[in-house]
Amino acid sequence: MMRSLTLAVALFFAASMSPAQKLDLYTEQIKPLFQKSCLGCHNAGAKQGGLDLSSREAMLKGSEHGPVILLGKPEDSPLYKVVARISEPAMPLNGKKLADADIARIAEWIRGGAEYGTSAKDPEGVELSEVRKHWAFRNPVRPAVPGGGNRRNPIDAFVEAERAKHSLTAGAQAGKATLIRRVYLDLVGVPPTPEQVNEFVVSNHPGAYDKIVDQLLASSGYGERWGRHWLDIWRYSDWYGYRKTGQVRYSQRHIWRWRDWTVEALNQNKPYSRMIEEMIAGDELAPGDVSVARATGYLARNWYLFNRNVWLGDIVEYTSAGFLGLTLKCARCHAHKYDPIPQADYYRFRAFFEPHEVRTDRTPGEADILKDGLPRVYDADASRPTYRFIRGNESTPDQSLPIQPAVPRLFGPADLRITPINLPIEAYFPDSRSFIPADLLAAAKAKIEKAEADLKKAQAKPEPEPLIQAAAKRVEAAKADLPALEARIRADMASIQTPAPPDSEALAEAARKLERAANRLHADASIIGAKYEFDQAGQDEKSLGKATAKLEDAVKSLKEPAEGYTSIGQKYPATSTGRRLALARWIASKDNPLTARVAINDMWMRHFGKPLVPTVFNFGRSGKAPSHPELLDWMAVEFMERDWDMKAMHRLMVTSDVYKLASSDGAQAKIDPDNLYLWRMNVKRMEGELVRDSMLAIAGKLDPAMGGPELDEKKGDTIFRRTLYFRTAPDLQMDVLQAFDAASPIECFARSESIVPQQALALANGPLSFTISRTVAEQLSTRFAPAGKFVQAAFQRVLGRPPSAGEARESITYLTEQTAMYREPAKLTPFANGPESTVRPSADPAQRARESLVHVLFNHNDFVTVR
Amino acid sequence: MSKTRLCSDGRSRRHFLADTSMGLTGLALGTMLPQRALANEEKWTAPDGQPHFASKAKRVIWLFMLGGVSHVESFDPKPGLNKFAGKQLSETPMREVLTNAFVKENLKAFVPGQHQTKMTLYPMQSGFRERGKNGVAVSDWFPHIGSQMHEVSLIRSVWTTDNDHGAILQFHTGRHIFDGYLPTLGSWAHYGLGSLNENLPSFVVLGQGPGDCCGGVGTHGSGYLGPEHAGVKLEVDPKNPLPFSTPGPGMYREEQLKEFELLGRLNRLSAVEYPSDPALKARIKSYELAYRMQMAAPEAIEYKAETEETKRLYGIDQEHSKPFGEVCLAARRLSERGVRFVQVYHGGAGNAWDAHKDLKKNHGELAAQTDKPVAGLLQDLKQRGLLDETLVVWATEFGRSPGAEQSNGRDHHPFGFSIWMAGGGIKAGTVHGSTDEIGFHAVEHRHYVTDIHATVLHQLGIDPKRLDVPGRKRIEIDYGKPIREIIA
Repeated sequence: MMRSLTLAVALFFAASMSPAQKLDLYTEQIKPLFQKSCLGCHNAGAKQGGLDLSSREAMLKGSEHGPVILLGKPEDSPLYKVVARISEPAMPLNGKKLADADIARIAEWIRGGAEYGTSAKDPEGVELSEVRKHWAFRNPVRPAVPGGGNRRNPIDAFVEAERAKHSLTAGAQAGKATLIRRVYLDLVGVPPTPEQVNEFVVSNHPGAYDKIVDQLLASSGYGERWGRHWLDIWRYSDWYGYRKTGQVRYSQRHIWRWRDWTVEALNQNKPYSRMIEEMIAGDELAPGDVSVARATGYLARNWYLFNRNVWLGDIVEYTSAGFLGLTLKCARCHAHKYDPIPQADYYRFRAFFEPHEVRTDRTPGEADILKDGLPRVYDADASRPTYRFIRGNESTPDQSLPIQPAVPRLFGPADLRITPINLPIEAYFPDSRSFIPADLLAAAKAKIEKAEADLKKAQAKPEPEPLIQAAAKRVEAAKADLPALEARIRADMASIQTPAPPDSEALAEAARKLERAANRLHADASIIGAKYEFDQAGQDEKSLGKATAKLEDAVKSLKEPAEGYTSIGQKYPATSTGRRLALARWIASKDNPLTARVAINDMWMRHFGKPLVPTVFNFGRSGKAPSHPELLDWMAVEFMERDWDMKAMHRLMVTSDVYKLASSDGAQAKIDPDNLYLWRMNVKRMEGELVRDSMLAIAGKLDPAMGGPELDEKKGDTIFRRTLYFRTAPDLQMDVLQAFDAASPIECFARSESIVPQQALALANGPLSFTISRTVAEQLSTRFAPAGKFVQAAFQRVLGRPPSAGEARESITYLTEQTAMYREPAKLTPFANGPESTVRPSADPAQRARESLVHVLFNHNDFVTVR
Repeated sequence: MSKTRLCSDGRSRRHFLADTSMGLTGLALGTMLPQRALANEEKWTAPDGQPHFASKAKRVIWLFMLGGVSHVESFDPKPGLNKFAGKQLSETPMREVLTNAFVKENLKAFVPGQHQTKMTLYPMQSGFRERGKNGVAVSDWFPHIGSQMHEVSLIRSVWTTDNDHGAILQFHTGRHIFDGYLPTLGSWAHYGLGSLNENLPSFVVLGQGPGDCCGGVGTHGSGYLGPEHAGVKLEVDPKNPLPFSTPGPGMYREEQLKEFELLGRLNRLSAVEYPSDPALKARIKSYELAYRMQMAAPEAIEYKAETEETKRLYGIDQEHSKPFGEVCLAARRLSERGVRFVQVYHGGAGNAWDAHKDLKKNHGELAAQTDKPVAGLLQDLKQRGLLDETLVVWATEFGRSPGAEQSNGRDHHPFGFSIWMAGGGIKAGTVHGSTDEIGFHAVEHRHYVTDIHATVLHQLGIDPKRLDVPGRKRIEIDYGKPIREIIA
């Protein structure tokens, strides 16, 4: 009854529809309905039952059973009949019946001629012509430089043209002292010394500034400074987990090797495109090259113990946002609301990463990968399918349709040429490398020594007789391990030769025997110990249970290995799918409209304090448009044509006149209060890293050592390495970083610049600022005895500028008054408790006053501010 | 800019300080930098910290549940959902909700066809009954808050326009997230009225806020009002209430005060060069505040002195309600000590209340975490005589859909949802506005989120139109209108 009624209504309406109405019916009603309920199976790729509903032509071809639609005749159309459940198979298959209103609409649509519209459409409804209307999805084309390129630096021409449109003109240039401090902090993360400032200020040489820029870009500090910037976006995180047991739950041990790769790559000026390729697919790009494999820490860092979907989800979401400014994240559960990204795109992107896993390879000199190693990725299983999660729910994967790797549809068809890659043996069997045996043997020998020492200790104490016996047995076992290891190494090395050497089977058998003999001794030792524990446990059930379990384990281990021998290391697949390399090459391609623009925007924001595209991680339709579209495109094209030369782009930016503008306010603030059109430089606040590193550098205490394992984040007050090298994980960051808007290792596309009292307290009360102030005061006093000279020098040293007359007066008065105050300590009230600096305040009242003044200067707004 | 005006009184003030008893509380420092010292030389003047008219509330405690609390399973129970349970919306007499004019008004940023209305009506997942002395229907998940309904003015007819969690930012700024990071309500209050207590920030933020998706720190930011008006986040960690709160025994208290004084003078001298740098202004103030906060903030966050009875009132004696109980107790302690605006988040960066599935489990647990602490806060304020002048607001970014999402959840729902206010001159025991029979649209006394802002500011004695900043145009809806019907 219901059915015939809806049909009747549909027939009535369809007869009177205009062509525009018919098209509307499709785009507004039928298309979303098909997307939701039909296209999952009946698309151009899957073509379940031979039916593809993604275009009118395909639809009209019908299914393997013949036509599905008779135009104008819904009642005779199989498609209508199966969704209306008039005939079998009931559609959607295994799904709920469509709402009656929807069924009626389908009837109406068939009646009206099954209109699809005329625009070029992707099977999933991504309308490419529509897509191309969005600026960021079109490839950048180099715009003409305004004014015919008269300006030395095209950046200035573009900015000037934009200013002129808003009746703005460039403000004054920054003073030289301000400029040199700005560019030092910007490029190398520490301020210039007073001597460097002075040399620049007095120099008349026209190329003096450019020369400084070149020197800074060539110095190792550049990689350390900009490495930290990129690691914000790429989400550097040291491992975290349950530290008591050393259980890693997130990221990887030794992930610092990727941090070091980043710093080195920047300092070598590796092309940005190459960096992307190495991070996403270094193991496929240069298999066997461990120095490149380090880069894949970018992926390994996403490893998550409890849920692989979270892990791969993070890779998909942050790779797309970080490199492409594309918020694929939104498509995890449903089609993107603002960008033409169907849900399947999310899973196609994931499919590139589906085969990969994380492993830790041994590094020379350390056999124990808990102590050192190289965390990296590799393709473990090429056959792992990727499924779309229905509504993003991982417990309901759509297993009817495995998803193949592909780039988002909006980029049109991309020829990815995914080619499997044959790996050299050192890549798939890393323990076959020549340095491994020596390290393993050294470790085995160390174990013998350890066992012997333990035995001596047990005898000397003396421990009860059974424990001494167990210790003695452990020495025997450790000694037996050595020949067993040697035999396993020989057997392994024979096993990888082609053709297999004639004695390979004999070698394997010898290894098996020796290993088993050694294991038997270990088991014996354990049994002696466990028996003793068992006897001691008495009636206590818990200890008894433990002892029994140990005993059982020991007895079990007697039987191992049952056959063959234990290889000295794992063998991984000898081929990699090549999927990640294909994706990386596509991202890093000059045909990609987003990659260069996104990177340029990231760089620009860090140089100029504000980005050109405010939504730095979202260049999609819901993002904001660039303030200077032509400038952005010009730079993006320039970047690519210079083969992704990052230093060249930095140089271009920091040698522009815009960069050299003063940051001071002016009347133009009334027209453009947010300085959107760059009539002045933006004032920046130092990041936490800069605050700490600059203090250390100013005191001459900054340890120039580069790289290496992460340092204890609690020891920043006493270890004077760059802040970059200290542990940073979601639950572990230096206090000073936290106070100054640290980069969250989970997500940080742009740091915020808050001003809160906690920052004041960190600098006013933190032990490091006392240590540094006292150190600097002492250094200055030895050179500048008179108070006036001291004050001059202190301002120069800490703030990079001389004091004004007023400031000098205040400071000198302060020194006098403070000195008098310290002379009468009995009248003063010390704080009751709190952390202490390692450098005590001076006992000399005058010197203590100087320390106090320097301490004030480190708290000065001009210290944390980059003008 | 006029150099002399800024620094001429430097020495005399210093002498003034030297003459005073040098009270180590640092009160003297507060006089060092009068509010107007750095103001721009223009006809326009910044607010003077005085209310525009008599205020009913001195302070605000703003409780915000992140993720979207289901209105139909909290403060707006709908028997109609049970009546039509399992039916398609289009089959019920309520079908017109899909096409009425509100849909357009409420969905400015909606892309048609992409975020479908959930059509299968889903019955209420909790029971409800009349609660409080005035008998207001409240879900069984909130028995304690329910018992306080006679203190509360419940608004069941709020709407917003963003159907995604950017609505969190929208609820605080009044604008869709696409419009950027504008001043939030707390920052307007701070900007308009300044501080009640020089020893603590005037605008404090407690609890974990939303992620960057949904406003991030912008939800307690200050936009163009400048960083000095942004919320200051304090950790509610009674064991370590404030990092770096003391310089250690190597320092003298007198010495520290002298340092802060010199610093203030030097920073002011540099303000001559950068007279309208909002960051410099903010930093000067942050140092003044830091000096005074050293002792005041830890004292406010620790609660050793509270009685067991008080702790029980906030649910601190129970594992599940302890964390939020501590936060609500800290809110009261800060408020009591003169913090103008305490913004409290519950739900964190994961938007915990976002129950697309397993609503029963999700809301059941989260309600249990918050019910006692929030009710305890109301009772505690009342018994201390603070409620009269403390405006408590409980809000969330949107409600949840009458229709089912997946099998057992509800989707985002911006068309009509509930919030409530109590104290601070709000009419106690009222229910204002309503949604339709299934809780779809706000139908009677509809209020956009800025009406809540306007009401809060009105109670604080502020006319938002008089806070306008030159060059920053606001439109009518940005100001909202005070909800007269609920004002006592």
